Amino acid sequence: MNAVAHLGTDTHPTAPAQEEDVLVRVSGLSKHFGTGGGLFTAAAAPVRAVEDVSLTVNRGEVVGVVGESGSGKSTLGRLVLRLLDPTAGRVIFEDEDITDLRGAALRGFRRRFQMIFQDPLASLNPRMTVGDALIEPMQLHFKLSRKEAAARAVELLEQVGLSASDMRRYPRSFSGGQGQRVAIARALASEPKFIVADEPVSALDVSIQAEVVTLLQRLQKDLGLAMLFISHDLSVVEVIADRVVVLYLGRVMEVAPTEALYRTPAHPYTAALLEAVPGTSRSGEPLKGEIPSPSNPPSGCVFRTRCPFALDACAADVPALRDVGPGHQKACIRDDLDL
Amino acid sequence: MPSAEVMSDTVLEVRDLHTQFDTPNGIVRAVRGVTFTVRRGETLAIVGESGSGKSVSGLSIMGILPRNAAVTGGEMLFSAAGGPPRDLRKLPEKELRKVRGRQISMIFQNPMSSLNPVFPIGEQIAETLRHHLGHSPAKARAAAVSLLAQVGISDPERRVDAYPHELSGGMRQRAMIALALACDPELLIADEPTTALDVTIQDQIIRLLARLQQERRMSMIFVTHDLKLVAEIADRVAVMYASRVVEEGAVDKVLNRPAHPYTKALLDCIPRRDYDSDAGRTLKPIPGVMPNPLAPPPGCAFEPRCPIPIEVCRAAVPPFEEISPGHNTACLRWRELRP
Ligand SMILES: Nc1ncnc2c1ncn2[C@@H]1O[C@H](COP(=O)(O)OP(=O)(O)OP(=O)(O)O)[C@@H](O)[C@H]1O
Ligand SMILES: Nc1ncnc2c1ncn2[C@@H]1O[C@H](COP(=O)(O)OP(=O)(O)OP(=O)(O)O)[C@@H](O)[C@H]1O
Ligand code: SF4
Ligand SMILES: [Mg+2]
Ligand SMILES: [Mg+2]
Repeated sequence: MNAVAHLGTDTHPTAPAQEEDVLVRVSGLSKHFGTGGGLFTAAAAPVRAVEDVSLTVNRGEVVGVVGESGSGKSTLGRLVLRLLDPTAGRVIFEDEDITDLRGAALRGFRRRFQMIFQDPLASLNPRMTVGDALIEPMQLHFKLSRKEAAARAVELLEQVGLSASDMRRYPRSFSGGQGQRVAIARALASEPKFIVADEPVSALDVSIQAEVVTLLQRLQKDLGLAMLFISHDLSVVEVIADRVVVLYLGRVMEVAPTEALYRTPAHPYTAALLEAVPGTSRSGEPLKGEIPSPSNPPSGCVFRTRCPFALDACAADVPALRDVGPGHQKACIRDDLDL
Repeated sequence: MPSAEVMSDTVLEVRDLHTQFDTPNGIVRAVRGVTFTVRRGETLAIVGESGSGKSVSGLSIMGILPRNAAVTGGEMLFSAAGGPPRDLRKLPEKELRKVRGRQISMIFQNPMSSLNPVFPIGEQIAETLRHHLGHSPAKARAAAVSLLAQVGISDPERRVDAYPHELSGGMRQRAMIALALACDPELLIADEPTTALDVTIQDQIIRLLARLQQERRMSMIFVTHDLKLVAEIADRVAVMYASRVVEEGAVDKVLNRPAHPYTKALLDCIPRRDYDSDAGRTLKPIPGVMPNPLAPPPGCAFEPRCPIPIEVCRAAVPPFEEISPGHNTACLRWRELRP
């Protein structure tokens, strides 16, 4: 296929997302940390954690976000949920621009999206029983009586494979996998449409990881949830995601339907990441060096300092994301690569 | 009793090792009869989930257990090149100190636990060389620079004076490998040396370890919870569950024709997407939970979660039996896994 044919505004005929399916849309999102200097200190170069990211998540869709440590995955997740204010860009949720919402208006929206973290205890108050942790958001969001909320809490616990007897337990008394179930139940309590799961299974043993992934898959399907699934584990993402976004130094390198991304990666960084997954073919050279400092990213293509295919031209401009196949885009200027 | 010829091929033979912790809640038998063999120039992987006793096995061999722990049974026969097998358990502390760090050395999951934060990395390597090999300060420093170069640290003349906190996670792990290899040990115990690292950096470290091991004809015990890594790095593998080795053998045999239901279940947990099947996204979690280490079941510890148990599995711990040359299993029903 000639990828250049899809350059520019040309919409691909088989683009999977119909406009009306889009639940979350972010455009030109950036987050720079620590821009300001103090009274006596010069402003240090800001950390460019997320840089000009645009993406959509459709209703009921799972979008995976992968990339090395420091690539900006968590920051992106927090920006999308409006837990952080962006330096630039917009966040649109169900056709409503929520970028500038603050205070009560934002809290009203919060119920519709939730976050699940790597450490389940991080989102649970250690002095609150699991029952109270579930009942509280339901009373807040749905004005249920305590009794009604308690009945719903038991339902939720059963939905995640726990039981009514767990209502009186404290978060710390649960194992890693159980704790993540509690965190998932709590995230579901407000009946969200969209969940950002930030490394939800990364701290778990493989057998427990399989259990929690299975639970997330079932809930996602049954409840028609849309999800941004952040992980550095490419194998887990491959199983759970419909589409995958590859981040490097805060920028999107490639976006594609899962099968296309894993079978026919189009960006050298994606190919290198997949090559590094243990148990895959060991033909190519390993990726050299480490991710550069996000305070001082390379000019042009941010990946060029580690890219085995870099040309002089790669240093000139930041490559635009452009179509290379159905729903498949990459930010690399070269089209002559056999990855 | 193995023949004399087999003995010379064996660097370490651990037989029926028992290690326990004295805790306020009772005795925790962290290692309950661990048996495995490390052949000269080969890598044995020890794989198992959190709490299965992998690290405690390594610490027992090194003789560096915490104060409240002790080896209470078994043998650890170490044969230095050309020397007779000696039981590390019976070696006087003075002799053991000569073995530890010089003939057998260990690298840890968290590099900060073996690198001293207040000394430059080069100084720590040089100090080991002065202590064990009696190098002069100048010779030790030169050797430290050369070691740092060998583990792929760029600009070693400058980095030799860097403090651990000045290095990235991957660089620290390399520095720790340099420290562990300083005295050219015959056996290296690497305890999850890549678990905290990105896949790309993990890939670099794995390739580095494999290269160094070959160049030096060193033997290695590689501890991991990731079965996918086992295929990549090891010749043989010991699978641990609830403080015991349940299966041991050549990697291709154990991974392709597992002879223990736990090994098979663990292999089934690895996320693998099959694009040609509707069920291609489903994972197979292991039902049930790990046994309580304070009160393990009297028979096979995996019996409560096993898909094919029979009455006798519950009665007594199944013997660790050789089912083909060099392939051992602690399952009475292993034939049932081979239809
Ligand atoms: N509050 C903050 N202040 C300053 N810098 C930050 C802050 N949060 C994140 N960063 C920086 O932004 C960059 C992106 O961080 P982020 O946590 O989003 O990465 P990540 O991809 O989630 O990494 P990991 O896989 O380690 O979780 C990093 O360089 C990080 O140090
Ligand atoms: N200092 C200690 N005091 C009491 N019990 C301990 C101590 N260290 C380890 N144990 C127990 O010994 C058992 C084996 O622990 P070990 O650290 O060897 O597991 P592991 O297989 O290395 O797990 P991981 O993958 O989490 O590193 C566990 O049940 C653990 O709780
Ligand atoms: S734009 Fe250039 S440096 Fe960047 S990925 Fe493509 S070839 Fe490599
Ligand atoms: Mg993160
Ligand atoms: Mg351990």
